[in-house]
Amino acid sequence: MNFVPALTNPLALLLLALVPVGIIILYFLKLKREPVEVPSTYLWSKTIEDLHVNSLLQRLRRSLLLLLQLLAVFIALIALLRPGYRGESTGQDRTVFLIDNSASMQTVDRNETVSRFEKAKLLILEKIEAMTDSDSAMLISFNDRSETVQAFTSDRARLRDSLNRVTITNHSTDILGALKAADGLANPRRSSEIADVNDVQVADAKPADLLIYSDGRFQTVVEFNLGNLRAEYIAMGSSDVENLAITAFSTERNAERPAEVQAFATIENFGTSSVSTTATLTMNGQFLDAEAVQIEAGEQTGLSFVIETEDAATLTLTLDHEDDLEIDNIAYTGLSPLRNVSILVITPGNTPLKVGLETEQTAKICNASFFSPSYLQTEDYKKRAADGTDDLIIYDTCSPDEMPLTNTFFIGALPPPTSTKSGRNKDESNASQATANDSTEPNAEQNGQQPDSGLPKNDAATADANPAGASDANAANQRDLNWRWASPESSVSLIDIERSHPLMRYLELFSLLIFSGRGVEGPPGTIELVGADVGAILAIAPRDGFQDMVLGFEIISRDEDGSPVTNTNWYAERSWPVFLLNVLRYLAGAADATGASSFQPGETVRIRLENAITSPSVTRIGGSSVDVTPGPGGSLEIIETEVPGNYRVEDGSKLADLFAINLFDPQESAIATVKEIDIGYESVASEDTTVEQRQEFWRWALIAMLGLIAAEWWVYSRRVA
Amino acid sequence: MELVSRKVFRGRMKGERKSKRKGQSVEFHDFRNYVAGDDLRLIDWNLYARLDQLFLKLFQEEEDLHFYALIDASESMNFGTPTKLHVAKQLAAALGYVGLCRADRVSVQALGPMGRQAPALRGRASLWKMLNYLDSVDSGENVSLFEGVKDFSLRNSGTGVAVLISDLMDKEGYESALRMLIGRRMDVFVMHVLSPEEIDPPIRGDRRLIDVEDGDSAEITLNNYALQKYQETVKSFIGSIKQFCAKRSIAYLPVRTETPVETIVTKYLRERGVVR
Repeated sequence: MNFVPALTNPLALLLLALVPVGIIILYFLKLKREPVEVPSTYLWSKTIEDLHVNSLLQRLRRSLLLLLQLLAVFIALIALLRPGYRGESTGQDRTVFLIDNSASMQTVDRNETVSRFEKAKLLILEKIEAMTDSDSAMLISFNDRSETVQAFTSDRARLRDSLNRVTITNHSTDILGALKAADGLANPRRSSEIADVNDVQVADAKPADLLIYSDGRFQTVVEFNLGNLRAEYIAMGSSDVENLAITAFSTERNAERPAEVQAFATIENFGTSSVSTTATLTMNGQFLDAEAVQIEAGEQTGLSFVIETEDAATLTLTLDHEDDLEIDNIAYTGLSPLRNVSILVITPGNTPLKVGLETEQTAKICNASFFSPSYLQTEDYKKRAADGTDDLIIYDTCSPDEMPLTNTFFIGALPPPTSTKSGRNKDESNASQATANDSTEPNAEQNGQQPDSGLPKNDAATADANPAGASDANAANQRDLNWRWASPESSVSLIDIERSHPLMRYLELFSLLIFSGRGVEGPPGTIELVGADVGAILAIAPRDGFQDMVLGFEIISRDEDGSPVTNTNWYAERSWPVFLLNVLRYLAGAADATGASSFQPGETVRIRLENAITSPSVTRIGGSSVDVTPGPGGSLEIIETEVPGNYRVEDGSKLADLFAINLFDPQESAIATVKEIDIGYESVASEDTTVEQRQEFWRWALIAMLGLIAAEWWVYSRRVA
Repeated sequence: MELVSRKVFRGRMKGERKSKRKGQSVEFHDFRNYVAGDDLRLIDWNLYARLDQLFLKLFQEEEDLHFYALIDASESMNFGTPTKLHVAKQLAAALGYVGLCRADRVSVQALGPMGRQAPALRGRASLWKMLNYLDSVDSGENVSLFEGVKDFSLRNSGTGVAVLISDLMDKEGYESALRMLIGRRMDVFVMHVLSPEEIDPPIRGDRRLIDVEDGDSAEITLNNYALQKYQETVKSFIGSIKQFCAKRSIAYLPVRTETPVETIVTKYLRERGVVR
């Protein structure tokens, strides 16, 4: 038995001790006697005379009311001292609570009435209640992002409030951020290298207990050292679980027959026993189809449905099976009607490109305009580029002065440097546009002469354009942010293709012949789509919400006479029109029109809208509507994506776009609790949580006090009545 | 039923009770020598023939009995359910009626000024007078017992049976009043009327007790201890009255107001020898 006084101030305790004395004084001073008539006070007077002997003590001894009041106050004093029994105390007085509020913590295990998350909160609350005044604690919640809900404090009330603020999410899990947040005070960093003898450690290390309340469903943390943190893993849930999950659900419109749509779903059994159930497909809330599903434990299966619709539709696939985790039993996807994309092609003449964009298939989704490079200087182009009217601009062996506010595809040319706007550069750029083939040759020669420098033509132009002479570091930084050639011009042999990228779907490129090409390097975030012996020959990079793709070789070159010559046999391959179709679908945005993208809960959704839409609103089907403001070029960032479902982006009553939020995370759906987690080089096994639970008695004391007050009132009422 | 007197008194009129006087009843009392002037009708001629001496044959005289019922009509008697005064009047009426039926001289009166208007009654026909008087008796005669008895004694010089019906709760004491009745050679009966509320008060808590007679107040915290003390005081009070009465041959009869009057008269009064 120990006491954790709620009041520690001696003055407050003294005042409390005076309360019983005050009650006794008031009992005599404020005694209200009710008059009552008696035949004679003759006998009473005799009685009172007897009572006068030791009358004070008699009253104190015999007044049940006073005794009850004093007893109630005494019990209240005991309650204020917060008596309790604590089995065992932790070694350290600093504790960091890490609570997992990812989707898998929504699991309600068998034989449990509350979710893992609620149970974790209860356990943390018990820990908080067991804290003494000298203990301090910190509360961090983590899912795919971590949040320090409460910094170190000894105030139990603040910790309790903070704990109440933590809510469950539908996010995936990444514990590293939370560990780094907890790490701060326990393992202070040094301000310089460890070998520096002049360095003094900036702060004393403050060891702490690290209590991780989780089901262990996160990736193993390798780049972390616990140091002064003493980790305890409190495993929530059990390993005997039942969970059937939809891990993928998408739709594909048949390009041949646009009205025919195929829906594909992957269903996995993460439980410990086989499950047979049905999967129900609904479209726009109406039942459409159902299929029986039987999956052994640990197995997965695929489902496909064929739907006939030409209109936009929202699809929902539901597993008619109650299991431990419900969020992954339902999946959403959407289907928009096909729409045209607008393509602007700036080319000195490229028949394969033109033919490829005018095939029967591409013509259905593409509205292409062809212009010569001189169009770049017109006001009409500048307006189109600034407004982002087109969904994609293809620059064939030419380059604009400034990047347009839309997606771009450069063939045999590089995008202009982002920060060069001087007249000289413009002149040079213009020159390069006017004589694209001619200008590349000297640069190639220059690069050939200085292979080590690797200075591409635009970078050279940039360096020349700075007569004041910028520092090498600045030049290097600037170079890193721009597209540049990575190699001199030479014949190209393809090595690798990023087949998983949508732009590279269905492509077979190894029979390609490329006579002359150069590797390209892009700004940070560049993805190499096709790798060759000269480096990346096709790469794509993000730019302020847009995407720029650069092809390192020309399709049609010019000979010395200016006559067109073929630089590759790609246009003769079957992959050429397929590639162009992929470009239209995924770079120009036509693909968005065929099937709604799926994002994970909490992920920021970026979509592009037509410029005519100025005040779109986003509505989750079955939820409320939120007005959003589109950015330049019609780009839209939607952050309120916590709840799984189908989301409609609407312009008034007109559907502008669709997207879906789904869990689709096997890591979260595999809800069997992990018995041991690895943090850095250490393995942390799950611990029993019931040892340190403190048994509180103050509530019982308060109940007893209330009972005494009730008894006192009853006695009083009986006497007065 | 008749009233019992433990003493033999001289009456005023011919009645049905033994008197100290020798008279002309049928009951023989004694013989005595004839002296000149005696009534010749009383000479026992049979003795004269046998002894040749003149003797007078004496007989018991039968006279009436004086019965006084004294009712304490103070404010304290107006307490309880039914009130003590009501029970006292019922008792007085019952005893008075018994007296009237036996041709006794009955005087039922309240102590205090009201007592002066009380008629002396005789014969059954006077019952209504007695009842009318009792009807007119009301509480509020706040005279002490002694003063009331003194006033009664001054107005009534005769002896007889006096029944004092009172709660005896007089702050000046009941002893002097009873002594005065004894001094008047009365055959005294005390009917001590108490209500159950007085014996076991149903009040608890912190109270200010107000005396209905003189407005005197007493503050008390009525808990079990205090009530126990009070009950001990009541017992002691009753015990002291019993002792006082026993010493002076006064018949003491406690009466509780919840007991029916007919039960008191036919059972308790008979047991105690007040009537037979």
